[in-house]
Amino acid sequence: MTEAVSPAPNRKLARWPVAQRFADHRLALFGLATIIVLAFSCLVGPWLLPFSDTHIDMQSRFAAPFSGSHVFGTDMMGRDTLARLLMAGRISLSIGFSAMAVSMVIGVSVGLIAGFYGGAIGAVLMRFVDAMLCFPSIFLLLAISALVSPTVPAIIFLIAMTSWMEVARVVEAQTRSLRTREYTLAAHSYGASSSRLMFREILPNAIAPIVVAATLNVANAILAESYISFLGFGIQPPTPSWGNMLNSAQTYLTSAPWLAIIPGAAITLAVTSFNFIGDGMRDALDPRADH
Amino acid sequence: MTRNASYRSTRLESGAMIHSRRDVLGFGLGLSSLGLLAAAGPAFSQSDAMGTPPATPTGVVVVGLSQEPVSFHPLMPGVEVDEIIWTNIFSSLWVAQPDGSLLPDLAVEIPSVENGGISKDGLVWTVRLRDDVKWHDGTPFTAHDVKFSLELINADGFRSRTRVGHELLEEITVVSDNEVSWRMSAAFSPYLALLANTHMAPRHLLEGAEDPNQTPFDSAPIGTGPFKWGSRTSGDNITLIANETYHGDGPYLEKAVLKYVPDMTSLYAQFRTGQVDTILISGIPQNFYEEAKNLPDQDVFIAPSGNIELVMPNLEHPALSEKAVRQALYHAINKDVIIDAIYYGVPEATESFAPRESWAFNPNLPEHVYDPEKANALLDEAGWERDGSGMRSKDGVRLSFDISTTTGNQLREQVQQFLMQDWAAIGVELSINNLPAAVIWGDFYVQSQFDSLLVGTTFRTGLDPDPAARFASTAIPKKGGSGGNYMQWENDEADALLKEGQETFDVERRKEIYYRLQEIVREEMPILPIWQYAPVEGIKKGLMGFKPNINQRQNAWNMGHWFWGA
Amino acid sequence: MATFLLRRFGQAVILLIVVSMIGFTILHLAPGGPLSQYAVDGSMTQADLDRLADQLGLNRPLPVQYGEWFLRMLQGDWGVSYRDRQPVLDIIFSHLGATLELMLTATVIAVVLGVWIGTLGAIRRYSFFDSLATVGAMVALSIPTFWFGLIVIYVFSVGLDWLPSGNRYTIGDGSFWNRVHHLVGPSIVLALVSTAVWSRYMRSSMLDVINQDYIRTARAKGVSERRILFRHAMRNALLPMITIAGVQLPVLLSGALVTETVFTWPGMGRLFLDSISYRDYPVVMGVLMFSAVIVLLGNLLADLLYSVADPRISRQS
Repeated sequence: MTEAVSPAPNRKLARWPVAQRFADHRLALFGLATIIVLAFSCLVGPWLLPFSDTHIDMQSRFAAPFSGSHVFGTDMMGRDTLARLLMAGRISLSIGFSAMAVSMVIGVSVGLIAGFYGGAIGAVLMRFVDAMLCFPSIFLLLAISALVSPTVPAIIFLIAMTSWMEVARVVEAQTRSLRTREYTLAAHSYGASSSRLMFREILPNAIAPIVVAATLNVANAILAESYISFLGFGIQPPTPSWGNMLNSAQTYLTSAPWLAIIPGAAITLAVTSFNFIGDGMRDALDPRADH
Repeated sequence: MTRNASYRSTRLESGAMIHSRRDVLGFGLGLSSLGLLAAAGPAFSQSDAMGTPPATPTGVVVVGLSQEPVSFHPLMPGVEVDEIIWTNIFSSLWVAQPDGSLLPDLAVEIPSVENGGISKDGLVWTVRLRDDVKWHDGTPFTAHDVKFSLELINADGFRSRTRVGHELLEEITVVSDNEVSWRMSAAFSPYLALLANTHMAPRHLLEGAEDPNQTPFDSAPIGTGPFKWGSRTSGDNITLIANETYHGDGPYLEKAVLKYVPDMTSLYAQFRTGQVDTILISGIPQNFYEEAKNLPDQDVFIAPSGNIELVMPNLEHPALSEKAVRQALYHAINKDVIIDAIYYGVPEATESFAPRESWAFNPNLPEHVYDPEKANALLDEAGWERDGSGMRSKDGVRLSFDISTTTGNQLREQVQQFLMQDWAAIGVELSINNLPAAVIWGDFYVQSQFDSLLVGTTFRTGLDPDPAARFASTAIPKKGGSGGNYMQWENDEADALLKEGQETFDVERRKEIYYRLQEIVREEMPILPIWQYAPVEGIKKGLMGFKPNINQRQNAWNMGHWFWGA
Repeated sequence: MATFLLRRFGQAVILLIVVSMIGFTILHLAPGGPLSQYAVDGSMTQADLDRLADQLGLNRPLPVQYGEWFLRMLQGDWGVSYRDRQPVLDIIFSHLGATLELMLTATVIAVVLGVWIGTLGAIRRYSFFDSLATVGAMVALSIPTFWFGLIVIYVFSVGLDWLPSGNRYTIGDGSFWNRVHHLVGPSIVLALVSTAVWSRYMRSSMLDVINQDYIRTARAKGVSERRILFRHAMRNALLPMITIAGVQLPVLLSGALVTETVFTWPGMGRLFLDSISYRDYPVVMGVLMFSAVIVLLGNLLADLLYSVADPRISRQS
């Protein structure tokens, strides 16, 4: 779940001792390798497969995995599950990355502005952040999903709208502390503009927590996509996504369980990998982690 | 369900009054299959000979529903599942039977011109009422209650469900405790059928309410029906208790529990294991039909339904406005595969907007043939030429449009994807644009903002086969009309027929009119019919008295007659 | 203490107002409305629908509707559902029990398992168990809850037939054991994420404590390991866990919504989903506000408990 990788536990986890970090890094490497393989397969795989992800063949529906020419079997419309899985991976991974990018832009901007200017602006912005965090994430996702028609860009927007707040908090705290540091004060004293200060001085110094948050946000976004698709508010067919593959598989859980197992495993694998990477990055990037 | 029976004046069309709400809308988002249930077929028939009802109410029935009944005031807005409450807690003047006849309930007899209950000009109605009916709290039911109920419907500020027909009421007179009469501003024969679905509310409890929309009825209704209100666990179940002083036959069951299970697959699982005794309305998902038929302890059957599943084009769309395009699209629908594969062969294909059980149904319409070559020829002939990518266009207009339905309706999503592939083969570019139920059936539908819809609906007025509200050119809301002609179809001959059909009381003549109308619709294709609904319902073996009724919106309409056989 | 409480309370009220504005705006800007469910109903005409929209006041400007809602809210009136016309608060309370039952059971499982795994991991740092727990926690945090639910149903209900596939109890039974039987599946599913979180926190908290001077002193004095663990280390390591309970509330609520959906559990999650589908604005707003209040109360309570339990923590922060 999204909350699983919220900053609070992560900051805590960041204090794991250094020896443990080695193990974490191995996991991070594993995560990185998995994501690279996964992304590469999704990118190239569909061209290599002899099946299209959208070609309907009612004669060969519900073919079991490993039983014929379809490695992962076929779905309720006779489409190759592997081809769909890979095409869905393209959608789910790009939603993950895009939603992360958008939420980073919003979160970093809000955090920077709130932390830099402080005062009334900061208070208003951060109260807004607090208010948004009062909603359990799924409740907020569903409420906003009522607003938009379920296209890919809309889903990206939707996920970004519900996942920028924690980044904003982290950046705001960082900015607030950095603003009073010597080099910022020094830069200010020779007349650097606010925007220059923000983007040249403060932002680069806050990059470590941002990168960590970004990685974890990708994991969250992939999960979020699967949740809204599962609840029927997500990506609409014929576009496959891991979430909507799972959604349409439920009905056939007893007769064709692989339709549910395969995309679910893909989601878990991708999300775990991003979480491993994020964990490793935190250890590597955060100088305050204990030594 | 007999098609050739002689028609009495009280005879109604046998055909479902309203489509299966949940199926059409997909409201109350269950997890998986908000799927349509389909198939046309003979009604379920059960030998009632087995067993006799117990002398005193005995036993419990658990009715499984995938939508929760929430609206208990019978005169306020509600959907099918709510009518289970209305038909069992309350009573109406008369009740529509499975064979299309009306059976008196609160009334002593059905008013007609012959028996003097309806004046020759159709303006004055007189209804005699039973004198032995009591409300659940013991107060006698009288003509005052009828007057009160009918007046409440038209009362300002009261959020009544519908005022159709009722708004013609001019003067309601209580002749005596057991006789009521009224005058109408215009003759309106469908009012008889409308009253069969108008349940009477108690004057002594509701009159003088500060806000007629907020009454104790919302949590504990009191009626004259075979069951009394028991209790409700919101979001879970409602328990009804036998009304031992019921004026009619029954009830034979001590208790009826309406159990809400929002997911159709889970609901079926509970039916299979015997936790619920019957699945109604949303029914059993088609993919379980074969398995369900072989369950040892359950009877599974296809319930009658008058809904038609169809593609509804918006005739304002530059491509869909052409008859040739619509005919070509129809030829390129592979109905057999849709029905056999996606719907597991449960429904039956249809060519008409009228249900097969209706007396107005025209069985002689040309049969649909899946013929992509014919479709291509039609499009070629009409001047739609293929470009390099194989897609067609004409005068700069691409043969490209959206199809929409409720998000989360998985079987319809499969049909859409299948249509995409079939229609691409004849050079038509179809895109799927599905919307949540609360969005799609709002302005998007009513104001004809769609390109085309995959929808299940009926073309009738209440129980009457009159489809004027769906086909007349005066019934296009987008063009200021009042009605449900969301396709925006305009056809002079159809208009004339529809008008005549409404003004004619001779059934044989009406039959001719509607036969001709179906021919026109089949030719012009303002709708592309696919199949007639056939929800798969089931009951546990031993439950007696269960009677599917195409003239009711739900098959728990006569729960007072249900009992457990030996 | 009083000023601290007052200040936190003031902040919470302001937050709730902002929350209500966000929620109200989102909902009412969304297309569709509560009457759509009747729109294709042959028994209701467009004239009926227009009349109802008018009677329900759905056509008034948004700020007017919000103003009215807000004023009523100030008087403690949460409004009335469009669907079943029951007071919103009644509806929420009638669904709350099922959700609380699920959340409490899951929390108990998560705390017991999490504390055990975390403590063991800290004591046997870098052992095989510890590594396994670390990886396991990460995977648990990454599994989509609903998918895990489906797998549990597939294995334990469909396959082994050990557990019911949904519902809170069997109609007509409803005995204690019947309820417990139904509770097993969903609470395990809901507990998965929390267990992972608790075990990670417990582990790091325990590690902090173990390295403290007084533990070393105790050890030097020859106090038995068991006694050190349970009398000293455990107690102090558990202290910071209090805040986790607060922080975990919104997480748990989200998880409950999904779990309830998979297991057809008649709680707040299902209520929320149904209400969103039907655009039953008063109920959706009610649930959003209610959960915001719970989240804020949870945080406040955790802070309070923590400051009571550990006087060293400044109340001003």
